Amino acid sequence: MDASRRNLLKATAILLVDQWALSHGQAFATESSSAAGKDERKVIVVACGGIRRAETFSDSGLGNIPHLYRELLPQSVFYPFIRNAGATSHYNTISSILTGNWQRLDDWGMTAPASPTLFEYLRKRMDLPQDSVWFISSNKALTSRIGASSIRDFGPRFGANVVFPKQLLINAVIRAASQGHPEHSADRAAMQLELQAMLQNADNYEGLGWSVSGEESILDLRMQSSMQQAIEDLVRTNAPVTGDEFTFLVSAEVMRRFAPSLLAITFSDVEVAHFGSYSMHLAGIRTMDRLVYELWNLVQALPSYSGKTTLFVLPEFGRDFDGSSTNGFFNHRAIDDSTSLTWMMCLGEAARSANVVERPVQHIDLCPTIAGLFGVKDLELPGKTLPGLST
Amino acid sequence: MSERPDKAQADASSPDAYRHLVERLPVTLRPSLNQQLSQWATLFPFEQNRLANFMKGVETFSPSALDALTAPLWALEKKMGVKLWNFSEASDTIENASQLARSEYYAEWRREVQRVFETVNAAARDSTPIQTASTRLILLFLPGSLPVDPLSAWKQWDARGHEIKISGGSERLCELAMKGQPGLPGIATLAARQGNVESSDLWLIDAEGKLSGMPASLSPMAACSLSYAALKPLRDRFLAEVNKIPKNIQATDELISNLRLESWNGWGLWPAEVANQPRLRRFVIDLYLSGNGAFIFSNAFVEWAASEALRRARPRTIVARFGMRSKPKPFTSIAIFENQQRISSLPDVDDPENSAIDAVILARYVWLAASRYPEQEQTLCLCVSEHRDSAYVILPAGKSLGWSPERTIAPDELYSWLGAQFLS
Repeated sequence: MDASRRNLLKATAILLVDQWALSHGQAFATESSSAAGKDERKVIVVACGGIRRAETFSDSGLGNIPHLYRELLPQSVFYPFIRNAGATSHYNTISSILTGNWQRLDDWGMTAPASPTLFEYLRKRMDLPQDSVWFISSNKALTSRIGASSIRDFGPRFGANVVFPKQLLINAVIRAASQGHPEHSADRAAMQLELQAMLQNADNYEGLGWSVSGEESILDLRMQSSMQQAIEDLVRTNAPVTGDEFTFLVSAEVMRRFAPSLLAITFSDVEVAHFGSYSMHLAGIRTMDRLVYELWNLVQALPSYSGKTTLFVLPEFGRDFDGSSTNGFFNHRAIDDSTSLTWMMCLGEAARSANVVERPVQHIDLCPTIAGLFGVKDLELPGKTLPGLST
Repeated sequence: MSERPDKAQADASSPDAYRHLVERLPVTLRPSLNQQLSQWATLFPFEQNRLANFMKGVETFSPSALDALTAPLWALEKKMGVKLWNFSEASDTIENASQLARSEYYAEWRREVQRVFETVNAAARDSTPIQTASTRLILLFLPGSLPVDPLSAWKQWDARGHEIKISGGSERLCELAMKGQPGLPGIATLAARQGNVESSDLWLIDAEGKLSGMPASLSPMAACSLSYAALKPLRDRFLAEVNKIPKNIQATDELISNLRLESWNGWGLWPAEVANQPRLRRFVIDLYLSGNGAFIFSNAFVEWAASEALRRARPRTIVARFGMRSKPKPFTSIAIFENQQRISSLPDVDDPENSAIDAVILARYVWLAASRYPEQEQTLCLCVSEHRDSAYVILPAGKSLGWSPERTIAPDELYSWLGAQFLS
C-alpha cells in the first residue's frame, strides 16, 4: 500500500478514535485514569482467521510470514500445535477463546457467549472501566454480542467496547453504489453527499453494529466531516484497501488514546479464501504477518505498553485440506488436523524465555492463562494454563 | 442442445414410493434425500440412479434389520437434541448445517451417517449388476495469458503423473478438442464413439467463453456447456438478490429457498446453450447457492462447477478452461459480494500473475475432486499450461505413457495419443 493511502487510513482511524476519546474526556492514555490498576499489565490477543499450517509454519509457507518467522519467532514462546476442538466457525471460535469454554452458538452471532468472557472477568474482578477492554475486528461474521456473555451476574455491564472498522467502509461503499451512479465512486462531490447522509443518519450509524461505551447513536459533526473526507479519498484510490489495514490502524489509535488493559483484535483478509482466490488468501496472510509485526513494534514504542505487554497471535483454525470434500482451502469445516490444528505465538512479558512448546494446547487455554496474567484466578474453566510462560 | 431421457427418468414413478422409505430413516438423513426427491426431474441420470439404488438398498432391509442398522444414529440424534432443533426435513438448510456442525457430537454423527450410507449402498450393490467402466477424460487448460511458473506448477500434483514438454503451439490442443480436424476427431466425437449419448456425459466449463466460441460444425452429441462470461447477466441479477440476505439464519434460509424455487426463466438472462436445459439451469442455481466463489471469481466458478459436475453427474468427459481475473479494485476485498462494476467506475485491469496462481491450484482441485470417486482408476487427466507449452498427465491405473516424458511432443501427436487412450 502506498504511503498516501496508508496515511489516509491512518487519519481516518485517528479521527474515529479521537471521537471516542473526546466523548469520554480522554485525550491520551497517559492522562487516562482507566489503566488496569497499578501493575498496568497489558495483554493483546490477535486472532487472524482461518490459516493452514501449510501456508505458514511449514517449509512451503515460511515465505508468506517473513516477519513472524524471522523477527518474532526467535523472541517468542511458540506453540506449534494448538487445537481448536470446538466448532470451527468464527463466532464460536472467538467466543471460545474469550470465554475459555467451547461455545456452540448461533454462527451468525445472534446469541451472546454462554459463559463469561475475559472482558467480564477482568472488569468485574478488577473493577475496570469499559474503556479498559476492547474488541476490534474486521470479521463480518461477528456481532457486538461477542463483547459480553448472557450470564446474569456478568453481561453487558461488564462487557467490552466492540468495534468493526471494516463495516464502516463497507456501509459507505454500498451506500454510494446504491445510488445507482457508479461514477459517484470517482466523483468527490457526489461521494461527499453519500457519506454525509450515511454518517448523519442514526440508523446508518447503528447499522455498523458497534458497541462503544457512552456512544451516542450518531457521530458528531466534526467526526462526520473527517470521516467523509477520508472515505471519499479511499473510494477514489485505484488500489486495494484492506479491512485488516483499517482494523490495525483503529486498534493502534485505541492503544494510543485508551491504552486498554485487554485488547482483542481479529483480522480477516485471509477469509477471501471462501471465494476461491488463493492468491488473495496468500496476500491476506502476508498482510497479517506485516500488521502483527507493526503491532509489536508499536507495543515497544508506546510507553503505556512497552515492557508490560504480552501479545498472543494465533489463527482461529486452519482450513480444509486439498482434496477434501469441502473444497480444500475455501472452507474450514472438515474434521481433520488441517482445519483444527494450528499454531500460536506468544511475545513479550509472559514470554521472557524464548521457547518452543511442543506439547499440544487448546484455544480454551488462553482464557485462564490471560486471566492469570492479570492475577484473576480460580475461574473454574475447563482449559489449562499455557505451559512455558512467566506469570 | 436438448436433453435426452434415460432409463432412470423413465422410472419416474419411483419418487413417491421413495418418500415413504425416507420416513423410516433417522431425521438427519431426510433433508438431503427429500430435497433430491423434490427435484427428481432436474437430477442428472447418475443422481437418479444413485438415489434409486440407495432406496433399493434400504428396501433390502427388513424393518427390524433397518432399525438395528440405524439404532446408533437414532440414539445419537436423541443425545444431540435434534427434536428440539428448528430442523428442516424437507431440504438442506444453512440452519440444519449450523446446528449439526456446532453439536459436540458432530464428528461422531458424521461417522455414523457414513456407516449407514455405506452399509445401505453395499446392500444395493449386492443386488445390482456392476457396469463395465470406460475411461474418463479430464482436460484442463491454463490459457497462454496466465504466466504459470513451470518449475512450481506441477510440484503438488499427483506423483503418479508425468510432466510433458510440448513443442510449441500448445493452444492448438484446445482447438483440436473443440473443433477436431480430419483424422483427429474433436472431443464430442470421441465421447460419442465411446458410447456416450447423454448430455451430462460431456461437460465444457469455461471462464471466458473460448470453448463455446469454437464449436464443432456438426457435434455428434449434446453437452453441458457453461461459461462464466456468458452467465454474467444471470450472475448480476443473482448477486443483487443475494445481497438482500439479512444477517439472520432463518431469513437467509427462506431467501435461499425462494431463490431455488425461482424459475429464473422470465428474465431472458440465460445464455443460449443453457436456456433449453432445465437440468443445467438448476445446476447453475444450485452452484451459485452453494457458495465457493462461483459467482465471484471466474476460476472459482470453473473449479467448483467441474467438481460439482463430477459429484453429481459423473461425466465421462470434462473440458475445463481457466482464465483471467481483474486486479482487485479499491473495495474488492472489502465489499467482495458487491457487483464490482457497480461499486467502482474504474476500468477492469487484468491480473495475470495472480490469476495464474489461482488457476494452478484450482486445476489441481479438479483432479482431486475426480480422485474421490471409484472411477479414478479409469481416469485420464491432462492439464495444459499454454504459456510455457508444458502439461501434466495422469494416466489410468496400469497404463503407461508410451514415450519418454523427456522428449517434446507436438500438439497434434499429443492429441492423437489422448484420443487413443480415451477410446482404449
